[in-house]
Amino acid sequence: MSPTIVRAPNLLRVLWTNAVFAPRTTLGFMRIDYVLGTVLIVPFTQMLFFAVVAQLAGNPSAPVAFVVLGNAVAPVTYSSIFSVCQTTDSEKHQGTMEHLLVSPTNRAALYLGRGFLPILTSMATLVVGLLYAAFLFHVPFAAGSAGSLAITIGLLSVSMVGFGLLLGGVALFLRTSIILGNIFLFIGLLLSGANFPVSFLPLPLQWVGYLLPLTWGISAIRATASGAGLMTLLPLWGALLLSTAVTLGLALGLWGVFERQALRTGSIVRF
Amino acid sequence: MRKVEPSRLRAFLASVRLSLLLFLADPQWVIPATIAPVIFGFAAFELYQGSGATLVLYAILGAGMMSMWGQTLYGAGWATGQDRELGTLEPTLSTPTSYLWVVFGRIVVNAVTGLVGGLVVFAVVSFAYPHPLPLHAPVEFVLLFAFVLVTLASVGLVLSAVYVYTRYAGFINNFGEFGFYIITGSMFPVVLLPFWTSPIALLLPPTWALDALRYASLPGYAGFGWGFTGDILGAVGTMLVYLAAAGSVYHRVEQHVLTVGNLQEY
Amino acid sequence: MVDAAISVRQLTRVYSSRKGFLFNEVTRTEALRGVDLEIAPGELFGLLGPNGAGKTTLAKILSTLLLPSSGSARVLGLDVVRDAPRLRSRIGLVLGGERGLYYRVSGRENLRYFADLYGIPRAERESRITEMLERVGLGAAGDQRVEEYSRGMKQKLHLARGLLHQPELLFLDEPTIGLDPKSARETRKFVRALLSEGVTIFLTTHYMFEAEELCQRIAVLSKGKIVATDSVAGLRQLVGGDRTFEIDGYGFEDAELARLKALAGVSRVVTEEFGPRLRITLRVQSPELELDRVARALPGHPELEVRERRTALEDIYLDLVEEEPA
Repeated sequence: MSPTIVRAPNLLRVLWTNAVFAPRTTLGFMRIDYVLGTVLIVPFTQMLFFAVVAQLAGNPSAPVAFVVLGNAVAPVTYSSIFSVCQTTDSEKHQGTMEHLLVSPTNRAALYLGRGFLPILTSMATLVVGLLYAAFLFHVPFAAGSAGSLAITIGLLSVSMVGFGLLLGGVALFLRTSIILGNIFLFIGLLLSGANFPVSFLPLPLQWVGYLLPLTWGISAIRATASGAGLMTLLPLWGALLLSTAVTLGLALGLWGVFERQALRTGSIVRF
Repeated sequence: MRKVEPSRLRAFLASVRLSLLLFLADPQWVIPATIAPVIFGFAAFELYQGSGATLVLYAILGAGMMSMWGQTLYGAGWATGQDRELGTLEPTLSTPTSYLWVVFGRIVVNAVTGLVGGLVVFAVVSFAYPHPLPLHAPVEFVLLFAFVLVTLASVGLVLSAVYVYTRYAGFINNFGEFGFYIITGSMFPVVLLPFWTSPIALLLPPTWALDALRYASLPGYAGFGWGFTGDILGAVGTMLVYLAAAGSVYHRVEQHVLTVGNLQEY
Repeated sequence: MVDAAISVRQLTRVYSSRKGFLFNEVTRTEALRGVDLEIAPGELFGLLGPNGAGKTTLAKILSTLLLPSSGSARVLGLDVVRDAPRLRSRIGLVLGGERGLYYRVSGRENLRYFADLYGIPRAERESRITEMLERVGLGAAGDQRVEEYSRGMKQKLHLARGLLHQPELLFLDEPTIGLDPKSARETRKFVRALLSEGVTIFLTTHYMFEAEELCQRIAVLSKGKIVATDSVAGLRQLVGGDRTFEIDGYGFEDAELARLKALAGVSRVVTEEFGPRLRITLRVQSPELELDRVARALPGHPELEVRERRTALEDIYLDLVEEEPA
């Protein structure tokens, strides 16, 4: 039998495989309940709930349109942070994580690929949320804001998924990252200014809020909707870009640490 | 061979015990189901606090009710999904006891642990809100909270059948959680909702129970026109319908899953 | 006459599965196609068959975990559909494998939970759990969390759970799959002990030696139909005798194979290729046929190796499964 020549797996191929195959197996992206739930239903119910709360409160700093826009954006956390965390957890549940780690594949491509489909569903969630805001909740959008909205949606989706990848790595040595995902998901809702201005919070919590990409994304969407110019938007987009660079850099660096921890503690098979 | 006599009460208690043990083995799982209501409670508090103490109490009561509902859904649905994933659904259904009693035990344990969320919001809001909270009948308040819990359990029991029916029941968590918070008016009077939602709200026992709870807790509260007694009767009546339906629904669901053979799917 | 422990008539089972985004693609699979079966009380009955033959489907129907599409099945005199709740108290099910247990609690707690669901008298519960844990060899590990168990220990816990309520009939689905030889031997010993206590056992397995060692009667299930039911000796006769000749050589021609088939006492000729080498297997009914006579039927093959062995259950199984038309 002639020896097989083993080559290092092609980076792009690994990236593509993980972008398309992995989410299908671990997230059930082809499942109608997932699509309906995360992209279509959750934004609507969350917006309606807080719209009624805002209506009852009658708080002039947080009128209904302010709250509706915040909650049109906030559900992106489900499609980004939560989804990415879920892929790691699902790999453990299905017992495939060990097989991934034993393969010689490039870790960066392996992990980053998993962010590809969540970026798409995050964008879909944001688009759906903003359509609900415009057509069901009658929130006015400034004329000509479509281009800026598209840029904000793209940047926010990428930065949120980057944040998710960072948290997903923790699941390698924790039993699960879903808990952590949940904490960030809902803490984000409180600290990001989705329902009331960040300035309502005590100062230390405001600082935490400004560390979250969601806070900048919500601000950018509100600014875009009100027709703010580039001078207002550029710093917000810059913050989103910076957040993406930092979280992805940290994610890539820390996945290696988390992986070694998992191998040391044997937690890869625990869930 | 000894003859064995399965009992529903024992199955219920066994389920309660196992749920507690599983909870204690990994208590972090209380977070996913209670953090959302806690955060929503704080968010509502931030918005309501400028409008007076009564609305602040709305936020606290709402957070408690939502937290119990989140945990009820967790016990009713997610735990059944776990049974599918662990492969324990098949051995459990192969016992002579109806799965209904197992689910009932889980729901009760989880709904009680859901009270934690309400207590967290109560404690933090009491500390953060500068004015006294006008809770005028504490004993009735506690009793009625327990009553809300039972009404939630009755709805959870019927809903849980969907998780036994199919592995594709996750959408209930997405829709059932917020949808339920909205329809039952957990954080606001249901009259603020469009008129067409009222019949749906009145079909849900917790809507009535929550209104009764507000009658007992909020001074000068004017909720549904039929008053506190009417609320209690409405809650008990609708709850009995749910409890009666649960047996029949479970029987049909069991027939379905045994027909399609999807118990091992997850 | 004693009533049968299991009586199955023309049992069929069709699975429908849906695929696609809107679940609109329906695929139908016939897992069982008219199964007839009769098992006596106290019998250890084995069901053999290749993957996907319908073994687990049949075991699940008989243990009330799946409804048949048509036909009838009675277990311990009770109808598996109509009398399912009553039947469940009297049968035990061991599906085995890594799944089916609560990992985050101890083995003892798993048993305690199921003891309550089965309604085992409260006064006996703890002693029976301890006894069962001891019996399956988990006495020392009973209070450990299941997630710390090895695969063999999980299998033992499955067994303990299946037997906890002292069932009259036990369904064992692949009880030794994935076990090391020592654990597998202990399990077989355990199964034999159960049989001596009068428990009727319905065993599905892939391991021929296990079925041969344990089972009084065996059914072979292939593509959803039972192709044979008998004792191992009876099955040997069915496939053409308990003598098997193996002939290894090169370049046999069709005419030579036909000559072998025509030999008196030869009931079946099977050929297998091993690279350039060919193995001819003859199933021999007659005690008179000698190896020399077979060798003489194949002149011009100096490399020929001819040997005799007893027909194994694996030979019978392969004959039966391969004979079954698609």
